[in-house]
Amino acid sequence: MSLRRIGLVARREVRAERGQPDGLVSAVTFVAVLILVESLAVGPLAASRPAVAGALFWIAMAFAAILATSRSFERELEDDALDAVLALPGGRDAIYAGKALALTALIGLVAIVGGALSLLLLSLDVALPGHLVLVTIAGVLGLPPVIVLFVVLALRLRSRGALVPILALPVLVPQLVAATNGTAAAASGDAAGAIAWAGLLVAFALVYSVLGLTIVPAALE
Amino acid sequence: MNSTASLRGATVVLGDRAVIRDLDLDLMPGVTVIRGPNASGKTTLLRAIAGLVPFARGERDVPVPTLFLGQRAQLLRGLSARDNLRFLAAFRGASPDRVGPALAAWGISARDASRPVETLSAGQRRRAALARLDVERCDLVLLDEPFGELDDQAATALAQKIRILAGERRTIVIATHGHPELDPSANRVVRLG
Repeated sequence: MSLRRIGLVARREVRAERGQPDGLVSAVTFVAVLILVESLAVGPLAASRPAVAGALFWIAMAFAAILATSRSFERELEDDALDAVLALPGGRDAIYAGKALALTALIGLVAIVGGALSLLLLSLDVALPGHLVLVTIAGVLGLPPVIVLFVVLALRLRSRGALVPILALPVLVPQLVAATNGTAAAASGDAAGAIAWAGLLVAFALVYSVLGLTIVPAALE
Repeated sequence: MNSTASLRGATVVLGDRAVIRDLDLDLMPGVTVIRGPNASGKTTLLRAIAGLVPFARGERDVPVPTLFLGQRAQLLRGLSARDNLRFLAAFRGASPDRVGPALAAWGISARDASRPVETLSAGQRRRAALARLDVERCDLVLLDEPFGELDDQAATALAQKIRILAGERRTIVIATHGHPELDPSANRVVRLG
């Protein structure tokens, strides 16, 4: 596996998203609407509790990440662009890691907007803002390795739009639990708890990255 | 003469149908035309040679750099033709500096080359894809219905390019159900179905 090729795929993805930013726009819109609707559904009092606010934010982020990742691969399929990469030597390895890397950056942008909206709409007081940023970064790192893996596995299926959330969300439950607890810990002033949950999220990201790099080249065949 | 690539007992199953069954094929330098009616497996055969389709049985030996140009242009939307080709060249280790002249040679102006590919016509996208022949310069070139969407001028340029590549001892495999004028100058015509 070549880091240079991974970098090339990631840069291509970022440029394509900049040229046709429908993935980013739809993910940001989706996360904003979902946080708003969720906060109205549970009520302002419940929504401002750290654990509830964290859960609302991370559920919205998981769906937004699925949306952005699916859109990225739809673009690859539109003109058989993916075939050009897969037919290149090392293309199968690079596409997973490169996409995951670029989508981490994209989902990071979504998290910034979604996080700001959550703080505003949910009236959340954060005791440890630095720790909250750390947990958010770790949580964002944990999403793309899983979601890109499942999008690739469902790539040639006609019903992939419905299947990816069904397949990916149960696997994402541990990450969502860790991210929610880490967010709640940071918001309520539990520094050790926030760091522990962030560490667990990074571990999840590493495990699924290795799994993805192992499975995806064969799955793409 | 040594073959550039070969298939031995190749069987490709798509769904519940064996599209290619126990095929032995040696690809030599020069032009090989794959002919056959619709659904005879021409595209599947090219994709199998390119490594894009797994074999149910058999072996594939393709030890040389291979360029597969499918029926669609394989260009990523949101990027310009130039950026698409520069990415593919850099990925393969070819010089991205070849991209500009190659696109110009295929009739894509500098202005069109920098526009997002989704704003180009189908014919322009096809010509931009064909410019990869000049950029990536692979020993084995697989062309699936390459004349589709091309105007007469571009089709003539492609026919000429195929002759040049064959003269350079490259191996060109063309899958098509039309263009019978290719057959007399081809080294081999393979009929499927």
